[in-house]
Amino acid sequence: MSINDLPVLSALRTKMQWHQERQRVLSENVSNSDTPKFRPRDLVEPKLDKSGAVTGSMGPLAMTVTSASHMTPSGAASSFDQNKNAGFETRPAGNAVNLEEEMMKAASNQMDYAAATSLYSKSLHLLKTAIGKG
Amino acid sequence: MANDSSDFARSMAIATSGLRAQAGRMRVISENIANADSTSQTSGGDPYRRKVPTFSSALDRTLDAQVVTLGKIKPDQSNFRVKYEPNNPAADATGNVKYPNVNSVVEMTDMRDAQRSYEANLNIISATRRMIQRTLDILKS
Repeated sequence: MSINDLPVLSALRTKMQWHQERQRVLSENVSNSDTPKFRPRDLVEPKLDKSGAVTGSMGPLAMTVTSASHMTPSGAASSFDQNKNAGFETRPAGNAVNLEEEMMKAASNQMDYAAATSLYSKSLHLLKTAIGKG
Repeated sequence: MANDSSDFARSMAIATSGLRAQAGRMRVISENIANADSTSQTSGGDPYRRKVPTFSSALDRTLDAQVVTLGKIKPDQSNFRVKYEPNNPAADATGNVKYPNVNSVVEMTDMRDAQRSYEANLNIISATRRMIQRTLDILKS
């Protein structure tokens, strides 16, 4: 059993990956805050079971490759569920990015990430104590 | 899909594309403001025409993410301001001089808007940097 198979660590790792990916999505929203017809996106928070695996959310459906000569679609493919309901205030140009809302999301994303990383290092510290090196 | 560990790098690159686009917009706005009174050199000719920056969202294949780019800079088709100044060298036969269709109030609000968007992108970069720092802190503990 490797260290990453521990439920706590694997759950925290998934959460950190989710925050990392969310940061990318939010950064896309902010940089496109003046692009006409751009709709902001967000990610659905993952639900984790006791073993640290993601449950309760259906991942995005992958495109089926029916021939070996098909190219895999490029683009911002995400391993987490997307929340398409984000943004309700649309400007005349069709842009629905609300800069204040995005900044709030980025700030909370950063804080949650900080919480997850400190929990991760605390758990590692606990392991160190357990093996007598803490 | 690109390597997961480079997601932070991608966030930074996306925000940088935003910075670049807003800086380009700022350049166009400053061009408009600087030329707010540029009349034609010839009698009865057209003066400076206001320029409008456009943005478009494009897929950057090396980053595998949607970045923003400054698209074509298009001319504003609205009418020129006309003033009656018979003594002006740029005046036409009736004594009217065409002035640029630049409205300084519009340019100023646009400039503030560009500034705000630029700051938002900068904030994303510093937030991402703090997140990278947190990741590195795990190694230190």
